Amino acid sequence: MGVVASLEKEDLYKPSGRLVVLPKFGGVTVGVNAVTLLLALLFSVPLIWLVLAAFDSQATQQLHLPHFSVENFESALAPNLMWALVNSVAISGIATAVATVPAFFGAYSFSRHRLPFKNPLLFSILFLAGVPTSILIIPVFEFFQNWNLLSIVPASIFLGITCLPFELYIIKNAIDAIPLDLEEAARVERASTLRILFRIILPISLPGIAAAAIYGFIMSWGNFLIPIVLISSSDQQPSPTQIFGFISGINVQYGLLAAYCIIYSFPVVALYLASSSVFTSGFKAGRTHR
Amino acid sequence: MANSVELRLVAPPDDVEVDKGDRLDRIRFNWLSVPLLLPTAILLAAFLAPIGYSAYIGFTNLSLLGPNSVNWHFTGMHNVQAMWQDDLFGKSVYLTIIFVILSGSVGSTAMGLLIAMLMQRAAPSLRSLIGTIAVLATTLPPTTVAVIWWTVTSNGGIFSDIVGMGNTGMLYSVPMLVVSCANCWSLCGLAMLLFSAALKNVPADIVEAAKLEGASSVRIFRMVIFPVLRPTVLTSALLMTLLSFGNFTIIYIMTGGGPQNATNILPVYSYLEGFTYHRLAYGAMLGNVIVLMTAAIGIVFGTISYLESRSERRAI
Repeated sequence: MGVVASLEKEDLYKPSGRLVVLPKFGGVTVGVNAVTLLLALLFSVPLIWLVLAAFDSQATQQLHLPHFSVENFESALAPNLMWALVNSVAISGIATAVATVPAFFGAYSFSRHRLPFKNPLLFSILFLAGVPTSILIIPVFEFFQNWNLLSIVPASIFLGITCLPFELYIIKNAIDAIPLDLEEAARVERASTLRILFRIILPISLPGIAAAAIYGFIMSWGNFLIPIVLISSSDQQPSPTQIFGFISGINVQYGLLAAYCIIYSFPVVALYLASSSVFTSGFKAGRTHR
Repeated sequence: MANSVELRLVAPPDDVEVDKGDRLDRIRFNWLSVPLLLPTAILLAAFLAPIGYSAYIGFTNLSLLGPNSVNWHFTGMHNVQAMWQDDLFGKSVYLTIIFVILSGSVGSTAMGLLIAMLMQRAAPSLRSLIGTIAVLATTLPPTTVAVIWWTVTSNGGIFSDIVGMGNTGMLYSVPMLVVSCANCWSLCGLAMLLFSAALKNVPADIVEAAKLEGASSVRIFRMVIFPVLRPTVLTSALLMTLLSFGNFTIIYIMTGGGPQNATNILPVYSYLEGFTYHRLAYGAMLGNVIVLMTAAIGIVFGTISYLESRSERRAI
């Protein structure tokens, strides 16, 4: 594991770290640097606005030095706004669990067992992963309305279902990369399939499972449409709905908006950065197996 | 000869289970896969069922409110005809292609490739600066992306002021351009990561040799670097297309499809038809068109990558 982990670390993109750089060709480095700088500035303007406005007690849509204060964050963390974040955590947590646990068992079966029509099935699952969720909204809404399901838990379960296909794919790639020898050795020692699953496959594929779970969490955290349509009570709405409410009003409080956006985005950005090594390992496993 | 006696087949003791049916040289269907796959199968069925249900609703007169919300029935090709005569539908398809193909597939991939190439040659500090910004932009949730871009491009926003549209706002004057830029901004970091990883497979010695032979930068890129990146270009283009379809949240939050339907791409149009104009059936029909478009895009990319891999094999 140690060796594997260190190999994957190298694949990880590190902003300040080592990056494989090709030998220089041509000599217009000044031009390249100028273009890079210009692009970086252009790209960073929206981000700089977000940070400056969040710390500005008199924030506007313009970039200017802030009247520094943290009152925006204080008001963003007020109890009535906090509830949306709690709902977001609940929705994403349920959705991730609903998607990841079945995906693990299914992925093992897809990776190791002989199944009829295995490749067409896998291809269909990959296709499902690419189906835009927006098209599912109308039929699912109709169904939920008929059965009185328009609330937070069914909506979260449905969000989990939309994340399942790709999670299954990520975990299958991770299990594919585990050498068969380990399992055969365990079988010779007369370990049951369940034992093999939990004692061998689970620990070794844990980075892949984590990547899948993080994917599911990020997707559910960012989803705007499914909660707004499938949850009828406004008390159960997650943060994106709250943010949409901020900008729908006549007087937009830009400082509060920016601060709330930072609080809302922070968990996702942190998960991404903390797990980028896990992500790349998932991609790599997929590549080597093909 | 004593050995042969010991090798004689002996019936196993009763307490040892032996699967007589399982030949070890051939993998059989394992009945354990049924319980293992069951939860996945149920959930996938719950994914597929709405797609089928939507296909059916598209051919009915279901509406969100009013009498047709309870008593709805099959109306045949009525919605297809309505779609055919709907000018907005044609415009919507056109806008969808612009958003998904031009801004998503082509724009984000090209921008990601550009940043990855710039990072190869820029000064180290600039390299990490642009890398960090692009990755950060990619990680932000779509709602945040939409809100930030809405702020800086609506009237009085910093971007609107830079291009001299401070009074009307860029988002009002050139809405499609703005949402396309926001989409590209939020996706190109991922493309950059894909290309940065793929650039590691470029053989440095061949680049060196080409340089010694006096090949120009453009030529080295075209003849040495790009061939290695080709499969990644394809992967990135497909990924960006699908992600752009999902990124319609950005449009919904920034413009709600307006002004005057200028950004009304199909997913937004479908949602508006269903939940704003209460015509669920027509919205579902537009959803069916999106499914067909996704399938068509998948087939096109599948064919291209199949042809690519075949020609590659032939070349070897």
